[in-house]
Amino acid sequence: MSDEVQSEAAAVPIEDAAVFKGYREPCVSVMRRFGVTVWCDVIAETTRGRFEGLILPRSETSDELHLVLKLESGYNVGIRHDTIESLRKTGYREASYKIPEKAFPVDAGKPRVRLFGTGGTIASRLDYRTGAVIPAFSPGELYGSVPELADICNLETEKLFGIFSENMGPPQYLILAEKIGEAIREGYDGVVIGHGTDTMHYTSAALSFMVQGSPVPIVMVGSQRSSDRPSSDAAQNLINATWAAAHGDIAEVIVCMFGPTSDRYNLLHRGTRVRKMHSSYRSTFRTLGDIPLAMVERDEITPLKDDYARRREDREVTVRAKFDDRVGFIYYYPGMKADVIESLIDAGYRGIVIAGTGLGHVNRLAYPALEKARKAGVQVYMTLQTLWGFVQMHVYETGREILEEGVIPLANMLPETAYVKLGWALACHPDDPAKVRELMTTPIAGDMTEREPHDGYLVFQGGVPEMKAFLGKVWS
Amino acid sequence: MTTHHPPPPAASARPPADLNPRREAALDFPERELEEMTPADYDTLGFLCGLEVHQQLATRSKLFCRCPSGVVARRVDAEVLRHMRPTLSELGEYDGTALMEFKTRKEIVYRLERSSVCTYEMDDTPPFEVDEEAVRTAIAVSRLFELNLVSELHVMRKQYLDGSIPTGFQRTAMVGLAGEIPFRESELGRDRVLRIRQLSLEEDSCREVSDVGHRIIFRTDRLGTPLTETVTEPDLLTPRDAAAGGRLIAAVTRTTGMARRGPGAARQDVNVSIAGGRRVEIKGVCHHRGLPRLVHVEAFRQLALLRIKAELEARGIRKEMLTVPETGQPWEQSPLAIDARSLLRKTDYSPIRDALDRDEMVVAVRLPGFRGLLAHGTQPGLTFAQEILHRVRVIACLVGRPFMIHSDVRDYGLRASRWRQLRSASGAASGDAVVVLWGRQDDAATAVREVLARGRDALDGVPAETRQAFADGTTGFERILPGPDRMYPDTDTPPLPIPDRWVQDVEAKQPARPWEREDRAIARGLDAAAAHRLARAPWNDLFEALAPKTPLGARRMAAALEKRLPCHWRRTRSAGALPDAERLEPLVAALDRGGPVIHAADEILDRLLAEPEHSASSIVASYEASDEPSADLARLLEATVVARDALSRPPSDERALMQWAMGRVIPELLGRVEPEEVARRLAERFGAKAALTGQEERS
Repeated sequence: MSDEVQSEAAAVPIEDAAVFKGYREPCVSVMRRFGVTVWCDVIAETTRGRFEGLILPRSETSDELHLVLKLESGYNVGIRHDTIESLRKTGYREASYKIPEKAFPVDAGKPRVRLFGTGGTIASRLDYRTGAVIPAFSPGELYGSVPELADICNLETEKLFGIFSENMGPPQYLILAEKIGEAIREGYDGVVIGHGTDTMHYTSAALSFMVQGSPVPIVMVGSQRSSDRPSSDAAQNLINATWAAAHGDIAEVIVCMFGPTSDRYNLLHRGTRVRKMHSSYRSTFRTLGDIPLAMVERDEITPLKDDYARRREDREVTVRAKFDDRVGFIYYYPGMKADVIESLIDAGYRGIVIAGTGLGHVNRLAYPALEKARKAGVQVYMTLQTLWGFVQMHVYETGREILEEGVIPLANMLPETAYVKLGWALACHPDDPAKVRELMTTPIAGDMTEREPHDGYLVFQGGVPEMKAFLGKVWS
Repeated sequence: MTTHHPPPPAASARPPADLNPRREAALDFPERELEEMTPADYDTLGFLCGLEVHQQLATRSKLFCRCPSGVVARRVDAEVLRHMRPTLSELGEYDGTALMEFKTRKEIVYRLERSSVCTYEMDDTPPFEVDEEAVRTAIAVSRLFELNLVSELHVMRKQYLDGSIPTGFQRTAMVGLAGEIPFRESELGRDRVLRIRQLSLEEDSCREVSDVGHRIIFRTDRLGTPLTETVTEPDLLTPRDAAAGGRLIAAVTRTTGMARRGPGAARQDVNVSIAGGRRVEIKGVCHHRGLPRLVHVEAFRQLALLRIKAELEARGIRKEMLTVPETGQPWEQSPLAIDARSLLRKTDYSPIRDALDRDEMVVAVRLPGFRGLLAHGTQPGLTFAQEILHRVRVIACLVGRPFMIHSDVRDYGLRASRWRQLRSASGAASGDAVVVLWGRQDDAATAVREVLARGRDALDGVPAETRQAFADGTTGFERILPGPDRMYPDTDTPPLPIPDRWVQDVEAKQPARPWEREDRAIARGLDAAAAHRLARAPWNDLFEALAPKTPLGARRMAAALEKRLPCHWRRTRSAGALPDAERLEPLVAALDRGGPVIHAADEILDRLLAEPEHSASSIVASYEASDEPSADLARLLEATVVARDALSRPPSDERALMQWAMGRVIPELLGRVEPEEVARRLAERFGAKAALTGQEERS
């Protein structure tokens, strides 16, 4: 089988790969036979009739059987290779694109903000022929797409990575933390980080631990609807995040994303208490176990809490960019056997975070593994699948038994935050388990709170009369 | 493309296809009513019309989510507020402030009702798999139009910034291209064809509730309903043909049985141009009845605009004379606009006085060389000034009633002395017109720019616009016609191959098209008009299943269905419910045999429908002349003679007398004797001539 694939690949010389963009056999043969390539205008005679259009590149994830034509009307259609009787070339129009760029206006009276790009598409434009999204990132490009930014600050940008959110991880956290430290010491009035949304709360937690005592806001922002769509949340997010960074008083690592699904205001969430809670909603980021720090709407920040670190004029900041990636993260399930945990111990992991059920429980089947971990010096921490509430391991027998196996409860620290914190703590104290344990159980950046306010847990239940009444009168 | 380098200016990006191929306008053509116009007159005008017919499909679900399709919501469970922001690609190299103006312009509010909308329609969830029933229906309709089917559907996004779709784009996929159908209904001759350019499958938009100032409100129940958009070539060369073409396309689509009925389920966009003009799109026309007048009025509106253009050119007016800077306050930056607040401070014209009280801006705009032209008629009861007014209302969101007056109507609004002051303050020469408008400062600035933009467009003649239809047959500005680059691939949906198997499946079940049905009905013996009606009736298939064998049986059966089925539906509130063919077969057989029973066809059909407890054959048998009716006839004749003698006021003439007498006898013996026989015998008894023969053929 693999031989076949290779021989097919060999049939397409390397210099041809470019002209057949994304096409494989049998389409490449059809195109060759009629002497056409991608970007050729063609008239196709097929068993299903005649089609006229421009041959577009084919997405690599689509099947190998169809040729894509862009019709004059703008529609794309697919033609199956074996319906094609002839292809007659009538022209050639290769698309080349550039984002319109305008010099970002500099105003000495405005704050300086540093924007780091990690690869998420906060601002982008679309290649209308291929559908490819081209990120807009330089200040000129950003000004071209979100000109309101020029009213807020003097923006300077730096692209650090070009990767999707799910590929962001510890190596990137370290670079980002160092870069933020540099920006602070260089005198910027605020830092904005463009980030894909999927793992934004991992990165925000990591930066909360690695960059401590910042004198300026460090604001993470992304978008749930890409900015090539008129309904995108990207511009509002970017405008409000930039405002919070340039003018806000909250000198912490915060996430700035939509409050409600309506285009109204953004919320500023503390980096260690925030979590993505819906796969696709605009208002997906929520503060858990507490209330958000503030609302931002049209150049105005309304604080909701006052226990945040204030902006300072000095340039003092502590950057502890370290991470030990030998940390495992286990989502416990009722049938889980000891070998799941044992395999981590055997593989040399140094710490494990468990998201347990209820108040922080796992079943008895796991006890031998917990004991093995204790003996091997692997630290095991307990967090909650319920996400809201505190680990309380003294309430039930089970909890007490698990404690005896050396598992350390982490109060109301979010599981993702605990994972990130443990990787960081192990790297901070590679040879001192007691220090690691102390670091883990001491709140550093709001990662654990002493109390849960009554409105720290508000997951409204749709359908009940009082919620219906509330939702019905939001606007009217 | 508007964004590759160097970007072409927006105007030249428009495809030349929008221009009418004949560039010489028939400027001397006289104003005429629709009824006075012949096809040759429209040919002189260079009239061209094409349709985009939208037909909702009666699928169970919406196109990209599993919400029920066809729900009409009344309750409001929640509201969501959004804005639409033009994307870079659409605007190309735009000025940043233009974008900001755009952004702050409209608040879009969606009213949700839980049973008819989910997070997909609200753009909070990516699309689910495309509804297969809708795809199959679109393939079926494409085959009916003999379109070339694509092998693979590519879902595209077509941008709409008006808020009618929360995503800012409509998901749409091309299904078939380049077909044609016979267009026998054309007033230009029975052998014409109507070319179909394309058919796409798309999701429907929101229903607009209101649009006032900066806030537009939509309902989302209809949003996402699958519909086919069938686009014709501009082959409709008269207004009546436009309506006939629309009806024909609707009839073809309905033969699938998957066309949704009811208000708004079928709507068309009508494209019209005349020689020298360009394509104008009238959106969302729900009825065919008003369509001829609508497009007739549009043809003459274009002619009026072309006359205004010619006059402006004759006066030496050029676009450069009508430009203002795109940013800032025009009354501070351009000699064409002045801040008229202090000048009008003491006016007794209450709309302006009230505006000043509200601290609004009042501006006078000078339109060089336009004197008299603002009062030039464009549509019945409307002038060129309304062209400006509609556009300003839509784009600048002015809300005053009124918010604009102009110098071509002297006695309206301000006194003559005020107008003189305004003219002099704004530097108007004798050939210039002055427009005064008022509103919030930002909106007034936009309004000034739009007044001048419409003035510049006057030099193009007919601007590329979409227009909305009003009940009186006139139209108003809706928005600038979108450019060709608003279409791009939907990255959320994979291409969907259309296998040959699906096509064969559809072809095997392909219903007969209206003209094929018509031909069959004519072959069975129906006249052309009855065949035309039957071919479009929901009982056409039932009729074909019944297959009457004689021309008389066919005519009688078709007539009975046409007369009695709708009554039955009304009576039993069961619109569209069709009886089994089996139930009606004894009736068809009896009609085919002929004889007196044919006169009872309507009544027998009524009873077959209303008395399911009786067997069909027994009902039909009770009407057939199995026994000898002569004794009954004799008795009835006798009774009728007696009754006549008892009348205090007998019918004055012989004919009326016979009608009265027939009315007494026939119902009693319906289906058992020939009416001619009754008439002959009555005439004998009355000693009169048989006056009512030939009645059968008329009935």
